[in-house]
Amino acid sequence: MKKPLLLFSLSLLAVLPLFAQQQKKEAPLVFTPQWTAQAQFAGYYVAKEKGFYDEEGVDVQIIHPNATQTSMERISSNRSHATTLQLAQAIQIVDEGIPMVNLLQTSMNNTLVIISRREKNPLEQKGAKVGVWHAGFAELVFAVTKELGIDYQWIPAASCVSLFVAGAVDASVAMSYNEYYQILQAGFALPEKCIYRFSEHGYNIQEDGLYVTREYYRAHKEQADKFARASRRGWEYAAGHPEEALDIVMDYVDRNHIATNRVLQRLMLQEILAKQLDPDSGERAFLLRQDMVEKASDLLLRNGIIRKPVTLKDLSR
Amino acid sequence: MKKPSSPLLPGIKRSLSGRLSLWIVLFAIAIFIATLSYVYAVLQKAVRREAINGATRELENTVLRVNVILEDVELLADNLEPLIYKDLDNPDAMMELSRSIVVNNPFLNGCSISFEPYFYPSKGKYYSCYSNNNGHRVYTQQEGNDQYQYFYLDWYLLPKLLNQPCWTEPYTDQEESDDETMDSKMSVSYCKPLIGNDGSFVGTLSLDISLEWLSETISAVKSYPHSYSIVVGRGGTYLVHPDAQILFYQTIFTNQLEHPDKELWTLGKAMLNWEDGMREIMLEGQTNYVFYKPLMTTGWSVGIVCPEKDIFGAFHRQQRIVVAIVILGLLLMFVVFSRVINRQLEPLRKLAVQARTIANGNFAQKLPDTNRTDEIGVLSKSFNYMQGSLVNYIDELTSATAKRERLEGELYIARSIQMTLVPNKFPAFPDRKDIDLYAFMAPAKEVGGDLYEYFIQDGKLHFCIGDVSGKGVPASLFMAITLSLFHMSSRQGLPPAEVARQINDGIAEKNEQLMFVTLFIGQLDLKTGHLEFCNCGHNPPVLMRQSPEFMQCLPNTPIGVCPGWDFEGQVLEIGHAPILLYTDGLNEAENIRHEELGNDRVLAVLNQEAYTDAKALVERLRIAVASHVGTAEPSDDLTLLCLSLLG
Repeated sequence: MKKPLLLFSLSLLAVLPLFAQQQKKEAPLVFTPQWTAQAQFAGYYVAKEKGFYDEEGVDVQIIHPNATQTSMERISSNRSHATTLQLAQAIQIVDEGIPMVNLLQTSMNNTLVIISRREKNPLEQKGAKVGVWHAGFAELVFAVTKELGIDYQWIPAASCVSLFVAGAVDASVAMSYNEYYQILQAGFALPEKCIYRFSEHGYNIQEDGLYVTREYYRAHKEQADKFARASRRGWEYAAGHPEEALDIVMDYVDRNHIATNRVLQRLMLQEILAKQLDPDSGERAFLLRQDMVEKASDLLLRNGIIRKPVTLKDLSR
Repeated sequence: MKKPSSPLLPGIKRSLSGRLSLWIVLFAIAIFIATLSYVYAVLQKAVRREAINGATRELENTVLRVNVILEDVELLADNLEPLIYKDLDNPDAMMELSRSIVVNNPFLNGCSISFEPYFYPSKGKYYSCYSNNNGHRVYTQQEGNDQYQYFYLDWYLLPKLLNQPCWTEPYTDQEESDDETMDSKMSVSYCKPLIGNDGSFVGTLSLDISLEWLSETISAVKSYPHSYSIVVGRGGTYLVHPDAQILFYQTIFTNQLEHPDKELWTLGKAMLNWEDGMREIMLEGQTNYVFYKPLMTTGWSVGIVCPEKDIFGAFHRQQRIVVAIVILGLLLMFVVFSRVINRQLEPLRKLAVQARTIANGNFAQKLPDTNRTDEIGVLSKSFNYMQGSLVNYIDELTSATAKRERLEGELYIARSIQMTLVPNKFPAFPDRKDIDLYAFMAPAKEVGGDLYEYFIQDGKLHFCIGDVSGKGVPASLFMAITLSLFHMSSRQGLPPAEVARQINDGIAEKNEQLMFVTLFIGQLDLKTGHLEFCNCGHNPPVLMRQSPEFMQCLPNTPIGVCPGWDFEGQVLEIGHAPILLYTDGLNEAENIRHEELGNDRVLAVLNQEAYTDAKALVERLRIAVASHVGTAEPSDDLTLLCLSLLG
């Protein structure tokens, strides 16, 4: 009798961990960055491809948005769980009644610029037609220009660069890591006087951070924290190995048939990594700064873009 | 460090034929280089001009072909526009128009007649009538919705903002296929703004065409094996390029963001500025000619990139062949010239070998016969003549040399005999302590005309010293006669003047040659130091008392000149004072500049040191003479005789 009992005990020991694992295993975390595949999200691609998510024990799926589904639409419909947002966007979303939690702050500086096509200071082009993304990302631009009393005629468009190149607009809002290089790539020399950099005029407000809804965070705190830790590790690895990170980015770009090239992506990665350094300490801090959250919230509130202040606490875990 | 030289060079240096051939070939190379350079420069210009003309023509034809298609699209839009305005109040008619235009024009990919939000209140925010031809069927639908907000897209915004028709940049067009999957293809649209009755913008008419035909049409242009065509869009994007990796993804300026290239930048700007022309630029380390021309109203530019090596490929091939032929020709020329010149110079070489044989003493060596009448023939004959003359000369020389050697032998014997005629063993009187005497005689030639003699008889030292006129054998014979006569006369115990008279008479009697001899004859009393002497035209001796001084002598004639001359003797008490007798080989000894030693120098040499003995004094004078004469030939016989009484 002893032998069959031993066999039964052994088989039970073998099955138990599997059973426990099945019980413990959570659904994959679907991460949708706010734009199509590009070096702006290099750290996440690196974390995925270098196995940092696996090492943390979190199953992350990266699904990019498309023309019919923006990242926030996927979040709202619970098809995605995490996304990247600019600080101003996050404040606006919180103000609209969707509490969001900042898991990881990657950007420590602002990259918004207005580029003039007329070889003059963009702020001096009163009434000019200025291209802006119709999909968002320009909350800060609207607030600042409103505060400065500049009466631009905004032209919301899917591709501001095409309008700029064709001469259909006088100026365009751009990111210093993306559209700025695309315009240079189209053969524009862009002297510095044509560029208004928000960061240099008292509006250095952080941008990209990694967010989940507060509801999701409450339910999957451990998974979200692991995701944040591994993502940070991905960014740190990308900063130390930019060419390897670029190879990974180009894999994602090719897989998603993005009309870009290695040169643009290298320049984008360089700028993104440079803007991840804290302006005071010069270090890769990965933290939301209270002063910047307050400044963004005040600016948006003053200009009627949000209705009540949003604090660092509102965004923190 | 010395460079190791090629073994060829010494060969060429030694060989006249090699050197001549090399000079000829070098000269030919210079002429070839000058001629070929000029011809190539002219031809290269012509080839370049022809290439430019050809590529420009090809480019113009291509642009014309593309323009025809683009014009068709623009014309179609112009024709469609009035139909839209006619039924602008009827939104459903727009759908029909969109469909019929695609159905009736198979080259169109699609047609969109799209309107501003809420233009038709009954249709809501979005109204975009879109028909699409997937190659099999035409689908028509209203495509605007919250996910496809068309009024933010280029094709809708550009004509609106520019307020004029325009072509979009290429974009990826998603189209529904028969199996309800989505195909994507690169397309481009011609868009016209639709203006309402009140003059306001109401929407956009857009006609889409695939870019494949453009790529096919333009890629077909291939002027040269490695030439290719490109089309760049308004922002420099490659719309047509052989490298699919960069097509639509890169612009002509992309790589310049990291590696600025002024030439490429200028080319890109020229193409973007819709210029028409040609530029020479470096691409991937090779020179390329890029011909470019704008494409109608699209804002695009077509370019043909022709590698220089293709344009000049055939030309350079021919150039290499010609250069190879020239090099081969020059090498052949060098070999042929070397051989011909070598053959022509063969007799000269034989001549050289045989001349060396002759030079080595083989005078019977036969020189080559030649019938040639050129310089070589003349040289050969001259050599033959020279050989004959040389043989005769050598014979004569051999005979003369034998004769001379015999004479030299005889002279050597004569010299030996002459040297035995004068006493030459010293000390002169080994058994006497009261007299110190030393003499030295050196003829200028084998035999000489100087003489001296001494002997003791009756307590007196009889001595003489003399110098016969002239030199050599005649003088030596005359010297022998004089010595013989001195002996004969002196032995008779006659005083010196009488001895001189007897010798003079003996010589003058048969002196047909009119030779003479200067002679100093002396008799010194060995006890008293009383000197009796007769000087017959000879150099006065030097008497060294406190200081050396020339003795005062009466002016008698030399012996042999005047028969019967009455010679006059003299006496002098010299005591123990040394007396130096000499011939003019001492005071008239000449150096290489013909300067004589002179009496003063003789006295100076005598004064240099205190007198010790006769031999030392004679040696000192001999060294002084040798030192003065140096490398010059001795000008005269030298004889020195010094004597003094001791005790």
